[in-house]
Amino acid sequence: MNRNPLALVVVAFVIALGIYVGYHKARRPSSAFASHLTQSSVAPDFSLESLDGKTMRLSDLRGKAVLLNFWATWCGPCKIEMPWFVELQNQYGPQGFQIVGVAMDDASKEDIGKFAKDMGVNYPILIGKESIGDEYGGVPGLPESFLIGRDGKIVDKIVGLHGKAEIEDAVKKALNTHPASSQASAYRQEIVPARR
Amino acid sequence: MRRTLSLFKQIQGTSIRLGWLTLTALISAAAPAQVPPPPPPVTVAAIPPTTAQRGTQTIVNLNFRVPPGYHINSNTPKSEFLIPTALKMDLPTDIVLGKIDYPAGEELTFPFSPDEKLSVYAGDFTVALSVHPLESVVPGKYLMRGVLRYQACDNAACYPPRTLPVSLEVKVVKGPGTHKANPAQSPHVHN
Repeated sequence: MNRNPLALVVVAFVIALGIYVGYHKARRPSSAFASHLTQSSVAPDFSLESLDGKTMRLSDLRGKAVLLNFWATWCGPCKIEMPWFVELQNQYGPQGFQIVGVAMDDASKEDIGKFAKDMGVNYPILIGKESIGDEYGGVPGLPESFLIGRDGKIVDKIVGLHGKAEIEDAVKKALNTHPASSQASAYRQEIVPARR
Repeated sequence: MRRTLSLFKQIQGTSIRLGWLTLTALISAAAPAQVPPPPPPVTVAAIPPTTAQRGTQTIVNLNFRVPPGYHINSNTPKSEFLIPTALKMDLPTDIVLGKIDYPAGEELTFPFSPDEKLSVYAGDFTVALSVHPLESVVPGKYLMRGVLRYQACDNAACYPPRTLPVSLEVKVVKGPGTHKANPAQSPHVHN
Protein backbone atom coordinates (compact mmCIF):
# COMPACT_ATOMS: atom_id res chain seq x y z
CA MET A 1 0.00 0.00 0.00
CA ASN A 2 1.24 3.44 -0.89
CA ARG A 3 1.15 6.01 1.88
CA ASN A 4 1.03 9.70 1.36
CA PRO A 5 4.08 11.02 3.31
CA LEU A 6 2.29 14.29 4.04
CA ALA A 7 -0.67 12.41 5.56
CA LEU A 8 1.67 10.42 7.79
CA VAL A 9 3.33 13.62 9.01
CA VAL A 10 -0.06 15.14 9.79
CA VAL A 11 -1.16 11.98 11.66
CA ALA A 12 2.05 11.97 13.69
CA PHE A 13 1.58 15.67 14.50
CA VAL A 14 -2.02 15.18 15.66
CA ILE A 15 -1.08 12.22 17.88
CA ALA A 16 1.85 14.14 19.36
CA LEU A 17 -0.41 17.14 20.01
CA GLY A 18 -2.98 14.94 21.72
CA ILE A 19 -0.34 13.33 23.95
CA TYR A 20 1.17 16.73 24.80
CA VAL A 21 -2.14 18.35 25.70
CA GLY A 22 -3.32 15.28 27.63
CA TYR A 23 -0.07 15.05 29.58
CA HIS A 24 -0.18 18.70 30.62
CA LYS A 25 -3.84 18.51 31.54
CA ALA A 26 -3.14 15.51 33.74
CA ARG A 27 -0.18 17.19 35.42
CA ARG A 28 -2.05 20.37 36.21
CA PRO A 29 -3.43 19.89 39.72
CA SER A 30 -6.26 22.37 39.35
CA SER A 31 -7.89 20.30 36.65
CA ALA A 32 -7.68 17.02 38.52
CA PHE A 33 -11.26 17.12 39.76
CA ALA A 34 -13.29 14.09 40.59
CA SER A 35 -15.76 13.21 37.88
CA HIS A 36 -18.73 14.60 39.81
CA LEU A 37 -16.95 17.67 41.17
CA THR A 38 -15.80 19.99 38.44
CA GLN A 39 -14.33 23.44 38.46
CA SER A 40 -17.18 25.92 39.05
CA SER A 41 -19.22 23.23 40.84
CA VAL A 42 -20.91 24.53 43.94
CA ALA A 43 -18.89 23.36 46.94
CA PRO A 44 -20.82 20.70 48.87
CA ASP A 45 -21.97 22.12 52.18
CA PHE A 46 -21.22 20.30 55.42
CA SER A 47 -21.51 20.67 59.12
CA LEU A 48 -18.55 19.59 61.25
CA GLU A 49 -17.36 19.98 64.79
CA SER A 50 -14.40 22.24 65.37
CA LEU A 51 -11.62 21.71 67.89
CA ASP A 52 -13.31 24.08 70.33
CA GLY A 53 -16.47 21.99 70.25
CA LYS A 54 -18.54 24.33 68.10
CA THR A 55 -20.34 23.23 64.96
CA MET A 56 -19.35 24.97 61.78
CA ARG A 57 -21.05 24.90 58.39
CA LEU A 58 -19.27 25.79 55.21
CA SER A 59 -22.25 27.94 54.31
CA ASP A 60 -21.52 30.04 57.42
CA LEU A 61 -18.70 31.54 55.37
CA ARG A 62 -21.00 32.94 52.72
CA GLY A 63 -19.49 35.85 50.84
CA LYS A 64 -15.93 34.90 51.77
CA ALA A 65 -13.24 33.27 49.68
CA VAL A 66 -12.40 29.96 51.34
CA LEU A 67 -9.44 27.60 51.23
CA LEU A 68 -10.72 24.24 52.39
CA ASN A 69 -7.70 22.15 53.34
CA PHE A 70 -7.95 18.40 53.95
CA TRP A 71 -5.01 17.27 56.05
CA ALA A 72 -3.90 14.82 58.75
CA THR A 73 -1.41 14.79 61.59
CA TRP A 74 0.45 11.88 59.94
CA CYS A 75 0.92 13.80 56.70
CA GLY A 76 4.39 15.35 56.35
CA PRO A 77 3.58 17.53 53.31
CA CYS A 78 0.54 18.93 55.16
CA LYS A 79 2.87 20.11 57.90
CA ILE A 80 4.90 22.11 55.38
CA GLU A 81 1.83 23.97 54.14
CA MET A 82 0.55 25.00 57.54
CA PRO A 83 2.95 27.91 58.17
CA TRP A 84 2.11 29.18 54.65
CA PHE A 85 -1.56 29.01 55.48
CA VAL A 86 -0.95 30.97 58.69
CA GLU A 87 0.77 33.68 56.64
CA LEU A 88 -1.93 33.68 53.95
CA GLN A 89 -4.66 33.93 56.59
CA ASN A 90 -2.91 36.93 58.13
CA GLN A 91 -2.29 38.56 54.76
CA TYR A 92 -5.63 38.01 53.03
CA GLY A 93 -7.99 37.56 55.96
CA PRO A 94 -8.88 41.27 56.05
CA GLN A 95 -9.97 41.00 52.38
CA GLY A 96 -12.55 38.37 53.22
CA PHE A 97 -10.45 35.21 53.01
CA GLN A 98 -10.85 32.28 55.36
CA ILE A 99 -8.87 29.06 55.61
CA VAL A 100 -10.64 26.04 57.07
CA GLY A 101 -8.70 22.89 57.92
CA VAL A 102 -10.44 19.52 57.93
CA ALA A 103 -8.47 16.87 59.81
CA MET A 104 -8.95 13.47 58.14
CA ASP A 105 -7.39 11.73 61.06
CA ASP A 106 -7.87 8.81 63.39
CA ALA A 107 -6.03 10.72 66.10
CA SER A 108 -7.96 12.03 69.07
CA LYS A 109 -9.34 15.54 69.11
CA GLU A 110 -6.78 16.36 71.81
CA ASP A 111 -3.88 15.15 69.65
CA ILE A 112 -5.14 17.08 66.65
CA GLY A 113 -5.49 20.15 68.85
CA LYS A 114 -1.97 19.73 70.19
CA PHE A 115 -0.60 19.38 66.67
CA ALA A 116 -2.45 22.47 65.47
CA LYS A 117 -1.29 24.47 68.48
CA ASP A 118 2.33 23.41 67.92
CA MET A 119 2.02 24.57 64.31
CA GLY A 120 0.60 27.93 65.39
CA VAL A 121 -2.54 27.46 63.32
CA ASN A 122 -4.68 30.62 63.28
CA TYR A 123 -7.70 29.26 61.41
CA PRO A 124 -10.45 26.83 62.42
CA ILE A 125 -9.72 23.12 62.36
CA LEU A 126 -12.69 20.81 61.94
CA ILE A 127 -12.82 17.11 62.73
CA GLY A 128 -13.33 15.45 59.35
CA LYS A 129 -15.58 12.58 58.40
CA GLU A 130 -15.10 10.13 55.57
CA SER A 131 -18.50 11.07 54.12
CA ILE A 132 -17.35 14.69 53.74
CA GLY A 133 -14.17 13.51 52.03
CA ASP A 134 -16.31 11.44 49.67
CA GLU A 135 -18.33 14.54 48.84
CA TYR A 136 -15.08 16.17 47.74
CA GLY A 137 -13.98 13.32 45.50
CA GLY A 138 -12.74 10.85 48.11
CA VAL A 139 -9.62 12.83 49.05
CA PRO A 140 -7.34 9.88 48.20
CA GLY A 141 -4.13 11.69 49.08
CA LEU A 142 -3.25 14.52 51.45
CA PRO A 143 -2.88 17.43 51.45
CA GLU A 144 -5.73 18.40 49.19
CA SER A 145 -7.15 21.90 49.09
CA PHE A 146 -10.20 23.39 47.41
CA LEU A 147 -10.38 27.08 46.68
CA ILE A 148 -13.95 28.28 46.95
CA GLY A 149 -15.04 31.63 45.59
CA ARG A 150 -17.25 34.15 47.34
CA ASP A 151 -20.11 32.71 45.31
CA GLY A 152 -19.64 29.29 46.90
CA LYS A 153 -18.25 27.74 43.74
CA ILE A 154 -15.02 25.81 43.52
CA VAL A 155 -12.48 27.83 41.55
CA ASP A 156 -9.41 25.63 41.96
CA LYS A 157 -8.10 22.49 43.54
CA ILE A 158 -4.57 21.70 44.64
CA VAL A 159 -3.60 18.05 45.14
CA GLY A 160 -0.42 17.28 47.04
CA LEU A 161 2.27 19.71 48.08
CA HIS A 162 2.85 22.64 45.77
CA GLY A 163 4.67 25.92 46.23
CA LYS A 164 3.32 28.75 48.32
CA ALA A 165 3.22 31.00 45.25
CA GLU A 166 0.88 28.57 43.48
CA ILE A 167 -1.42 28.44 46.49
CA GLU A 168 -1.36 32.23 46.76
CA ASP A 169 -2.34 32.58 43.08
CA ALA A 170 -5.31 30.32 43.73
CA VAL A 171 -6.25 32.37 46.81
CA LYS A 172 -6.25 35.55 44.69
CA LYS A 173 -8.41 33.79 42.14
CA ALA A 174 -10.94 32.92 44.84
CA LEU A 175 -10.86 36.48 46.20
CA ASN A 176 -11.58 37.86 42.74
CA THR A 177 -15.00 36.25 42.64
CA HIS A 178 -18.25 37.99 43.45
CA PRO A 179 -20.82 36.91 46.01
CA ALA A 180 -23.89 35.18 44.63
CA SER A 181 -27.12 37.15 44.88
CA SER A 182 -28.49 34.66 47.37
CA GLN A 183 -25.54 33.35 49.31
CA ALA A 184 -27.42 30.79 51.31
CA SER A 185 -28.43 29.02 48.15
CA ALA A 186 -24.91 29.08 46.77
CA TYR A 187 -23.83 26.12 48.84
CA ARG A 188 -25.16 22.74 47.93
CA GLN A 189 -27.09 21.70 51.00
CA GLU A 190 -27.97 18.22 49.98
CA ILE A 191 -25.41 15.54 50.67
CA VAL A 192 -25.45 13.21 47.73
CA PRO A 193 -23.81 9.79 47.81
CA ALA A 194 -20.39 9.89 46.24
CA ARG A 195 -19.95 7.99 43.02
CA ARG A 196 -16.77 5.99 43.19
CA MET B 1 -8.10 8.16 -15.66
CA ARG B 2 -8.10 4.97 -13.61
CA ARG B 3 -4.91 6.11 -11.91
CA THR B 4 -6.45 9.49 -11.06
CA LEU B 5 -9.51 7.75 -9.62
CA SER B 6 -7.32 5.46 -7.52
CA LEU B 7 -5.33 8.43 -6.22
CA PHE B 8 -8.59 10.23 -5.39
CA LYS B 9 -9.86 7.20 -3.43
CA GLN B 10 -6.57 6.94 -1.59
CA ILE B 11 -6.67 10.61 -0.57
CA GLN B 12 -10.32 10.26 0.44
CA GLY B 13 -9.55 7.20 2.59
CA THR B 14 -6.60 8.92 4.22
CA SER B 15 -8.76 11.97 4.98
CA ILE B 16 -11.41 9.84 6.72
CA ARG B 17 -8.78 8.06 8.79
CA LEU B 18 -7.17 11.40 9.62
CA GLY B 19 -10.52 12.77 10.71
CA TRP B 20 -11.10 9.85 13.08
CA LEU B 21 -7.60 10.09 14.45
CA THR B 22 -7.92 13.82 15.04
CA LEU B 23 -11.27 13.33 16.76
CA THR B 24 -9.92 10.53 18.97
CA ALA B 25 -6.83 12.50 19.93
CA LEU B 26 -8.81 15.63 20.74
CA ILE B 27 -11.42 13.74 22.78
CA SER B 28 -8.74 12.01 24.83
CA ALA B 29 -6.97 15.32 25.40
CA ALA B 30 -10.16 17.12 26.36
CA ALA B 31 -11.41 14.41 28.75
CA PRO B 32 -11.36 15.60 32.37
CA ALA B 33 -8.34 14.37 34.26
CA GLN B 34 -9.25 12.12 37.15
CA VAL B 35 -8.01 12.29 40.70
CA PRO B 36 -4.75 10.36 40.89
CA PRO B 37 -5.33 6.81 42.09
CA PRO B 38 -4.07 5.68 45.48
CA PRO B 39 -0.59 4.20 45.47
CA PRO B 40 -0.06 0.53 44.71
CA PRO B 41 0.10 -1.42 47.95
CA VAL B 42 3.13 -2.73 49.76
CA THR B 43 3.57 -6.41 48.91
CA VAL B 44 4.97 -9.38 50.78
CA ALA B 45 7.03 -12.09 49.10
CA ALA B 46 5.77 -15.67 49.29
CA ILE B 47 6.73 -17.13 52.64
CA PRO B 48 7.89 -20.74 52.43
CA PRO B 49 6.56 -23.10 55.11
CA THR B 50 8.71 -22.95 58.22
CA THR B 51 9.64 -25.86 60.41
CA ALA B 52 9.87 -25.03 64.11
CA GLN B 53 10.90 -27.37 66.88
CA ARG B 54 8.89 -27.45 70.04
CA GLY B 55 10.57 -25.61 72.86
CA THR B 56 12.91 -23.68 70.60
CA GLN B 57 12.81 -20.31 68.92
CA THR B 58 12.69 -20.11 65.14
CA ILE B 59 13.13 -16.97 63.06
CA VAL B 60 10.89 -16.36 60.06
CA ASN B 61 11.89 -13.60 57.66
CA LEU B 62 9.08 -11.66 56.03
CA ASN B 63 10.23 -9.78 52.95
CA PHE B 64 8.22 -6.71 52.03
CA ARG B 65 8.45 -4.43 49.04
CA VAL B 66 7.42 -0.77 48.91
CA PRO B 67 6.46 0.27 45.37
CA PRO B 68 8.93 2.54 43.55
CA GLY B 69 8.39 6.24 44.17
CA TYR B 70 6.82 5.70 47.59
CA HIS B 71 8.08 5.28 51.12
CA ILE B 72 6.51 4.24 54.40
CA ASN B 73 7.48 5.21 57.94
CA SER B 74 9.86 2.87 59.70
CA ASN B 75 8.84 1.14 62.91
CA THR B 76 10.41 4.03 64.81
CA PRO B 77 9.46 7.25 63.01
CA LYS B 78 10.85 10.47 64.36
CA SER B 79 7.59 12.10 65.28
CA GLU B 80 4.86 10.95 67.61
CA PHE B 81 2.32 11.92 64.95
CA LEU B 82 3.72 9.68 62.22
CA ILE B 83 2.25 6.21 61.93
CA PRO B 84 4.87 3.49 62.46
CA THR B 85 4.98 0.41 60.28
CA ALA B 86 3.97 -2.44 62.55
CA LEU B 87 3.27 -6.13 62.21
CA LYS B 88 0.51 -7.59 64.34
CA MET B 89 0.12 -11.36 64.42
CA ASP B 90 -2.75 -13.52 65.62
CA LEU B 91 -1.21 -16.65 66.96
CA PRO B 92 -2.55 -20.14 67.50
CA THR B 93 -2.71 -21.19 71.12
CA ASP B 94 0.58 -22.44 72.57
CA ILE B 95 2.74 -20.77 69.94
CA VAL B 96 4.46 -17.82 71.47
CA LEU B 97 5.59 -14.88 69.44
CA GLY B 98 9.04 -13.69 70.37
CA LYS B 99 10.51 -10.38 69.41
CA ILE B 100 9.55 -8.86 66.07
CA ASP B 101 12.76 -7.43 64.68
CA TYR B 102 12.25 -4.44 62.42
CA PRO B 103 15.09 -3.05 60.33
CA ALA B 104 16.37 0.43 61.07
CA GLY B 105 14.76 3.00 58.81
CA GLU B 106 16.67 4.85 56.13
CA GLU B 107 17.25 8.43 57.18
CA LEU B 108 16.08 10.43 54.19
CA THR B 109 14.99 13.94 53.43
CA PHE B 110 12.16 14.69 51.02
CA PRO B 111 11.08 17.77 49.07
CA PHE B 112 8.32 18.27 51.64
CA SER B 113 10.77 17.98 54.51
CA PRO B 114 14.13 19.34 53.32
CA ASP B 115 15.41 20.24 56.78
CA GLU B 116 14.25 17.20 58.65
CA LYS B 117 15.37 13.63 58.06
CA LEU B 118 12.64 11.03 58.25
CA SER B 119 13.11 7.40 59.19
CA VAL B 120 11.51 5.40 56.39
CA TYR B 121 11.44 2.13 54.50
CA ALA B 122 11.73 2.33 50.73
CA GLY B 123 12.21 -0.54 48.31
CA ASP B 124 12.69 -3.91 50.00
CA PHE B 125 12.83 -4.47 53.73
CA THR B 126 12.69 -7.53 55.96
CA VAL B 127 10.93 -8.05 59.26
CA ALA B 128 12.17 -10.97 61.32
CA LEU B 129 9.54 -12.77 63.30
CA SER B 130 10.49 -15.16 66.06
CA VAL B 131 8.10 -18.01 66.77
CA HIS B 132 8.40 -20.28 69.77
CA PRO B 133 6.13 -23.33 69.96
CA LEU B 134 5.70 -24.44 73.53
CA GLU B 135 6.52 -28.00 74.58
CA SER B 136 2.81 -28.66 74.92
CA VAL B 137 2.02 -27.97 71.26
CA VAL B 138 0.79 -30.97 69.33
CA PRO B 139 3.13 -31.43 66.35
CA GLY B 140 1.54 -30.53 63.06
CA LYS B 141 0.95 -27.64 60.66
CA TYR B 142 -0.28 -24.32 61.97
CA LEU B 143 -1.37 -21.28 60.02
CA MET B 144 -0.40 -17.95 61.50
CA ARG B 145 -2.13 -14.82 60.30
CA GLY B 146 -1.43 -11.17 60.83
CA VAL B 147 -1.39 -7.75 59.26
CA LEU B 148 1.27 -5.21 58.45
CA ARG B 149 -0.06 -1.71 59.08
CA TYR B 150 1.71 1.07 57.21
CA GLN B 151 1.18 4.54 55.89
CA ALA B 152 2.70 5.53 52.55
CA CYS B 153 3.75 8.82 51.05
CA ASP B 154 5.35 9.92 47.82
CA ASN B 155 7.33 13.12 47.35
CA ALA B 156 4.26 15.37 47.48
CA ALA B 157 1.39 13.60 49.19
CA CYS B 158 0.57 11.07 51.87
CA TYR B 159 -2.06 8.37 51.76
CA PRO B 160 -4.26 6.96 54.50
CA PRO B 161 -2.96 4.03 56.55
CA ARG B 162 -3.48 0.60 55.03
CA THR B 163 -3.08 -2.97 56.17
CA LEU B 164 -1.48 -5.85 54.34
CA PRO B 165 -2.61 -9.36 55.35
CA VAL B 166 0.24 -11.75 56.07
CA SER B 167 -0.01 -15.48 56.64
CA LEU B 168 2.57 -18.14 57.15
CA GLU B 169 2.58 -21.86 57.74
CA VAL B 170 4.58 -23.25 60.61
CA LYS B 171 5.19 -26.95 60.90
CA VAL B 172 5.79 -27.78 64.53
CA VAL B 173 7.97 -30.83 65.14
CA LYS B 174 9.22 -32.47 68.27
CA GLY B 175 12.46 -31.00 69.47
CA PRO B 176 15.61 -32.94 70.24
CA GLY B 177 15.58 -34.22 73.75
CA THR B 178 11.89 -33.77 74.13
CA HIS B 179 11.24 -37.33 73.09
CA LYS B 180 11.26 -39.32 76.31
CA ALA B 181 10.66 -42.88 75.32
CA ASN B 182 8.77 -44.84 77.87
CA PRO B 183 7.65 -48.00 76.14
CA ALA B 184 5.87 -49.19 79.20
CA GLN B 185 3.53 -46.22 79.18
CA SER B 186 3.48 -45.28 75.54
CA PRO B 187 4.17 -48.12 73.20
CA HIS B 188 3.09 -46.22 70.10
CA VAL B 189 4.28 -42.86 68.99
CA HIS B 190 1.74 -40.70 67.22
CA ASN B 191 2.67 -37.72 65.13
